[in-house]
Amino acid sequence: MDYYIGLAQIIGIHTLLGLSAYAVLLTGQVSLAQAGFFAIGAYVGGMLTVLAGWHVLSGMIVAGLVAGVVATLVGFPALRVKGLMLVVATTAFGEAVRLFFFNFNYRIRRGDVLIGPSGGEGFRQIRFFQENGWSTIEMALFIWAIVILVLATLWWLDRSRAGTVWRAVGEDELAAQSAGVSITAVKVSAMGLGGVIAGLGGALYAHNTTHIEHAQFGVVLATFAIAYPILGGLTSVLGTLAAVVFIQGFLVEGLRFLGDWRNLLFGALIVLAMNLRPNGLLDASAVAALRRGLSFRRKGAAHARA
Amino acid sequence: MLELKGLSKHFGGVKAVDGVDLRVRKGEIVGLIGPNGSGKSTTVNLVCGVYPATAGRIMFEGADITRLAPHKRVRGGLARTFQNIRLFQRLTVWENLWVARNTAGQGEPRRLFGNWVGGQRAARASVEELLEFAGLHSKRDMVTGALAFGEQRRLEFARALAAEPRLLLLDEPAAGMNLEEIGDLRHRIVDLRRRGLAVLLIEHVMELVMGVSDRIAVLNFGRKIAEGSPAEIQAHPDVQAAYLGDAEV
Amino acid sequence: MQAGIIDFLQSLADGVLFGTTYAIIGIGFTLIFGVMHKLNLSFAAASIGGAYLSLALLAVWRAPSLVLLATSAAGGAALGVLVFLSCFRFIRADNALAPLMATVGMLLLIDEAIAHLTAGVPLRYPALFPDVMLDVGPMMVRSDLLFVFAIGCVATSLLMWLLYRTRVGIATRAVAQRPVAAALCGIGIGRVNATTFALAGALGGVAGALTGTAVGVLSPLLTLPITVKGLIVTVIGGLGSIPGAILAGLLVGGFENIIQHFRGVSERDLHVMLLLFAFLVFRPGGLFAPPAGRD
Repeated sequence: MDYYIGLAQIIGIHTLLGLSAYAVLLTGQVSLAQAGFFAIGAYVGGMLTVLAGWHVLSGMIVAGLVAGVVATLVGFPALRVKGLMLVVATTAFGEAVRLFFFNFNYRIRRGDVLIGPSGGEGFRQIRFFQENGWSTIEMALFIWAIVILVLATLWWLDRSRAGTVWRAVGEDELAAQSAGVSITAVKVSAMGLGGVIAGLGGALYAHNTTHIEHAQFGVVLATFAIAYPILGGLTSVLGTLAAVVFIQGFLVEGLRFLGDWRNLLFGALIVLAMNLRPNGLLDASAVAALRRGLSFRRKGAAHARA
Repeated sequence: MLELKGLSKHFGGVKAVDGVDLRVRKGEIVGLIGPNGSGKSTTVNLVCGVYPATAGRIMFEGADITRLAPHKRVRGGLARTFQNIRLFQRLTVWENLWVARNTAGQGEPRRLFGNWVGGQRAARASVEELLEFAGLHSKRDMVTGALAFGEQRRLEFARALAAEPRLLLLDEPAAGMNLEEIGDLRHRIVDLRRRGLAVLLIEHVMELVMGVSDRIAVLNFGRKIAEGSPAEIQAHPDVQAAYLGDAEV
Repeated sequence: MQAGIIDFLQSLADGVLFGTTYAIIGIGFTLIFGVMHKLNLSFAAASIGGAYLSLALLAVWRAPSLVLLATSAAGGAALGVLVFLSCFRFIRADNALAPLMATVGMLLLIDEAIAHLTAGVPLRYPALFPDVMLDVGPMMVRSDLLFVFAIGCVATSLLMWLLYRTRVGIATRAVAQRPVAAALCGIGIGRVNATTFALAGALGGVAGALTGTAVGVLSPLLTLPITVKGLIVTVIGGLGSIPGAILAGLLVGGFENIIQHFRGVSERDLHVMLLLFAFLVFRPGGLFAPPAGRD
């Protein structure tokens, strides 16, 4: 049972990571910096609970805000570049954040041990949940409460006028500008929101694993962050959730029995998926079909009642 | 209301637009014509702020907008269409208009996240009107990529109007249209003047420009070589030379 | 003081020579981007893959250095075509995200295939060149690095010759500049694209072998750092510029080695990132930015 609860925690945290990239992708920006914001959230959140003795909730919120501010600041120079240049610039930013934490030492003495981030060794003993006696199920519920909150916010945003404007920018910047849309405001706020979400996810990740180190936040994690929304399709936030369940639940955990072969299959399946469903698993046609199916069932039920 | 003073744009050594003066008054339709590569589209892009001007000034309703950000020009009442249609292909017809309608008249991004119910109701109503105007009411929930060419042109026209402009820049709106569609377009443009809008019309289809314009300016090699009423322009020797020269090439 | 300057020059020289490999990877990215306007993130992995294929040859025959290099190039070319077929050929051209993601899948696949076949153990790569130190004044130059540099120059010159003097090359550049017009002139875009991937892949295979011989071992762990460095080189050099990629490769190689010498290996890459940011802010077009045209 604990195994499945642990899996639910991982899926929740990765969903936040994927959603942070989703927000940015809506405006047409491919950002590989999300792992960097995630790392900032993890370190800030961990330091606040471990070193400053904060509650995990307030620590997490501040971690999200800090990551959001950093992301907003990154958003302005990122406006200058597009396409491949943006991919490279954000990759480099993410790597710079990782390397910063690789060189980051901030340890204080507590009793007879030193605690805090310690360069290449990482940051150990982020044990808020354990010290306060949370059970794994409580941790999972906490994580999922946050995930659902973020999902709902993005769902609402998607259907509000802001979402339409964001997508318009993602479609054609020049046309959006000519419709009176401020590209700067849209792109920077998308970056900022993505940063907040990644920061929240990072803080939860730190407390969930209790031990973080720079190597966990590399290019691979950054590509996973964009892989979720791209594989899921940008039609709906649910696509991202579905992609996380598919990758973390099925490809990573479900295929564990394959041993070494699992990793081989992993790459091949991504290639295959992109060839067969270039617009994502939950693309517009799939969503329309789902909707039809749902409304049909509802109609059917209505008929049955009548 | 729009005034260009010595407007210039150089790309490297190429003087795409070179010291152009032009005036569009309120409720006036001004045609801008010239052979291919004469700088018409560059002029539109300068007025909209797609390119920064190399020299010269752009005045709109008395204010200098030469350095104003492009989206602020739109919000200030200056909208455009594109020579090659640029719709948001994967958004619906309704959403295309909604995006432009919502930024109309707004100066601040603070309303980006706002959900002002009253404002929304008015905006929705005006989007309905625009759907009616474009004759696309029945296709409101279609993705615009799936529309026919003529419908896309009409939608782009309506989207430009959604921003509630006082001056509309039309960049070759008749390109690729058949005679019937051009006739329809002509009615729409004349209708704009009745509503008090000013229009700067860039066009190759002479019947259209000559038919609707109050005044016509002619560009050649980035310079304005003539300006006057349609009749004057048709009789102008330099204009004939420019077009005949073009025909020889 | 004197010793400090010599140290500085020494690290600069070593770094610049090693930078040849970055330059070649950068050329590969730039070439593919130039023709298809798409990013192939699996390029560095395919390059290392090519070098591994040459190791497979070595297992059955003690081949001479040049044969090893050629095998690596051929392997890189084959993998390049495979990447083209699996990530670009069958995905619609107007979709930018799907091929990008697919190349990430290929990157993981190639890495994992290598890890699987080698049981995760780094393999020794033979010295392709005699390993002697040349005294140049007070400095020593590793002759193998000099060879790396020389081979890099030869491979790049070969590519330039192909691109500018042969039919295939001219067709490639035509597609890069005006795909539709090129198609109307009877150039098969699909075939040109495949050729580009093969060419870039061959060059990448050479880079892979050179990396192997300069580092001494091959490991799938090399691919991500080389991918990142190659991308940085591409941007610093100016997208689509081959001379820019060469110069940027040597620059990054020299720069990182100097930093490593004076600030230690843990800070090295951080400063490379800062160098990139400096370029993005002050010269976003890179060293050789293509001239800004209308439309």
